[in-house]
Amino acid sequence: MDPLAQFLPQVWFFILGLFLFLYVLLDGFDLGIGILSLTSSSEERRSILMTSLGNVWDANETWLVLMGGALFGAFPLAYGTVLNALYLPAVVMIVGLILRAVAFEFRENANRKLFWNWAFGVGSFLAALGQGFALGSIFEGIAVDAAGHFVGTMWDWLSWRSILVALTLIQGYVLIGSTYLIMKTTGSLQLVHFKTAKLAAWTTLIGAGFITISTPILSDHIRPTLFEPPLVFIFLGIPLLGIFLIGLLLQSLGKQEERMPFILTILIFMLSFVGLGLVIFPYIIPPSVTIYQAAAAPSSLVFMIIFIGFLIPIMLFYNIYNYVVFRGKVTLSGEAE
Amino acid sequence: MDILANSVALSRMQFALTAIFHMLWPILTTGMAIYLVIVEGLWLKTRNSDYYHHARFWSKLYVLNFGIGVASGLPMEFQFGTNWAPFSEAVGDFFGSILGFEASMAFMLEAGFLGIMLFGWGRVPPAIHYLATIMVAFGANLSTFWILVANSWLQTPAGGTFVEGKFLVADYFQAIFNPFMLNSVLHMFFATLETSLFVIGGISAWYILQKRHVEFFSRSFKIVLAAAIAVAPLQIFIGHLSAEQVYHYQPTKLAAIESQWETLPAGQPADWTLLALPNEKAETNDWAIQIPQALGYILELKPNLSEPVQGLKDFPPENRPRLIGLIFYSFRIMSGIGFFLVGLMLVTAIQWGLGRLKPGVIARQTWTLRAWIFAAPLGYLAVETGWIVRCVGRQPWTVYGEIRTADAASHLPAGEILFSLIGFTLLYSALFIAALYFGSRIIRKGPNLSLPIPGVEVLPSLELPTQHQPDQRPLEAQQ
Repeated sequence: MDPLAQFLPQVWFFILGLFLFLYVLLDGFDLGIGILSLTSSSEERRSILMTSLGNVWDANETWLVLMGGALFGAFPLAYGTVLNALYLPAVVMIVGLILRAVAFEFRENANRKLFWNWAFGVGSFLAALGQGFALGSIFEGIAVDAAGHFVGTMWDWLSWRSILVALTLIQGYVLIGSTYLIMKTTGSLQLVHFKTAKLAAWTTLIGAGFITISTPILSDHIRPTLFEPPLVFIFLGIPLLGIFLIGLLLQSLGKQEERMPFILTILIFMLSFVGLGLVIFPYIIPPSVTIYQAAAAPSSLVFMIIFIGFLIPIMLFYNIYNYVVFRGKVTLSGEAE
Repeated sequence: MDILANSVALSRMQFALTAIFHMLWPILTTGMAIYLVIVEGLWLKTRNSDYYHHARFWSKLYVLNFGIGVASGLPMEFQFGTNWAPFSEAVGDFFGSILGFEASMAFMLEAGFLGIMLFGWGRVPPAIHYLATIMVAFGANLSTFWILVANSWLQTPAGGTFVEGKFLVADYFQAIFNPFMLNSVLHMFFATLETSLFVIGGISAWYILQKRHVEFFSRSFKIVLAAAIAVAPLQIFIGHLSAEQVYHYQPTKLAAIESQWETLPAGQPADWTLLALPNEKAETNDWAIQIPQALGYILELKPNLSEPVQGLKDFPPENRPRLIGLIFYSFRIMSGIGFFLVGLMLVTAIQWGLGRLKPGVIARQTWTLRAWIFAAPLGYLAVETGWIVRCVGRQPWTVYGEIRTADAASHLPAGEILFSLIGFTLLYSALFIAALYFGSRIIRKGPNLSLPIPGVEVLPSLELPTQHQPDQRPLEAQQ
């Protein structure tokens, strides 16, 4: 294969992975906090939860839009086929994100907040659910013809296994949401989220354990990758490291540390993400279409690197600056008025 | 009903519905972002607290619209994959890259700085805050740019060739600078700006008529009027250039806009149809009111055209757009509003020149102010009808002359699309009602003129302009 035609799709696979990872991490705690808000015991607590996201939620969500746009440009075939296959989960996710996004503004201006509280919580849950089913379909595989077009049915993404993957992702979001809130809140609210974080750490561990064990048994298309040296050692190492990190996390939660749980959760997410990336690579429509088959022309990939690639550090810079400006605990002074 | 089993028609309906609703919100935010840059700049320059309170008040409406705009825009991007997969595959190399640029350059910029613009008043120095406001406005308008690049390319594809149905790009810059691009970008830029100006002007007029904060809102009214003097006529000019381009590049759309069934040969007088009842079955207009030679003047500024205007009958029926009446009247509504807004601007500018817009007397100009309130929603109507002309007029092509809409749609079960279409219809209708409700609440509540001014405590109080503190305002403005 032409080295350029091999290298460029790999670069874009990595860039898309980076966008997706940033999305999962950042909107992950957004969505997790949304789901947690369903259990808030008072209006004031819910206000603190939503205020903690006020200045970041739309920038966080933009990584998804960016991921979508970049996937469309870099791997047009995958964009069409995957979204075609995941029509219903995509619609559920979008409806969820819409409900959640408008809840921020409408709740702020509403006298009776109950409806918008539900819109925020349920919207977050639906968005995470849709994403979980999309993730599940990677393990299940997407049925395509020789040209890479979707040939399955509208319910292909639904199976008992994809339900468990979806539930695990939701647990993961609740975990990172809880650890983010531990960092941003104080007092009794913080204590509540030490508890939710502990619970979510256990449920995430169970879910991840299930996925790790079931994948080589049930996914025919992934099994060969897993047992092929030298990757087999990495795939043995990742679960062990994962268990170790969750152990550290539980210990840190026990000691009621404020920042460490969030950092450890990020590491756990990173580890799962690397594992997932290694399982999928070089496929972009598992189990049959590779990044090389689905990639746009090399000239397009170069053109996009010139325009988007150089912007990545700049985007990271001002997004980080945003977090620096609003560092510290959430206050309810209503700065936006 | 047939249409409920036709997945192409359902996908089209869903795209049209989401586009028509989504557009309502970014139209206001992209234009209003520029207005916010202006008032914050005036505040930094004059240190007059009124301008600061303007920035705070209008940004409340801004953020309401921005939130709904982001939310309602998500389905737009994903539909290319879910409902138009063959299209995405065929043109993704170019079209997808452009959407990626929009997200990375424009949307991310706007979203990344929005938090600082809204919540950062007390946390960052004024210069950084102003930079954030400028970046938000720049990002919003850069979004318009890239979206219009993508859409213009669908209208006049350039910069490569279609090989076996897939677009291969030869020259990206030629594709970006396709024939329609420049005028389309400018037309939409002025459309968002003009709509926002008349919304801000209409709301200001409402307060003035209500005798609430008259002096405060006569400031915004005059800023808007000054901008409209430049923008409203320019928009007509750019619109005219766009129509000329349609004449040269998209003969079927021009024929539909004019409901022109027979070809008008070159060198003959070209009459213009003001109103008509198009009859697609009989391929004629059932009745029409025509203005002699006007089409010649509209397109070439002379009575007889130097090129023929092709009639719809020149094209085989499968290459003609449908819904001729919709296209015909949408165009007339759009341009009619354009001229109405210029007229309103002129009348108001004359009153300004005569000194009738001074704070003491402005509230007496009831008819002018009422006309501004009436004009507030007209910009939206003009933009929506303009896009109907642009995109319904392009049919049956998704990529003009290259890819038919019927071939661009995913093979999805109709029931699946119907499910999402019903869902989006309900959701968007609810959003629309809620946006009106909460928007009008913000307006009825009015500006909070007691918000502390950032940086004031470090300035010696003697140097502050005090004449605009709320408690020292004229009685009529205090409530």
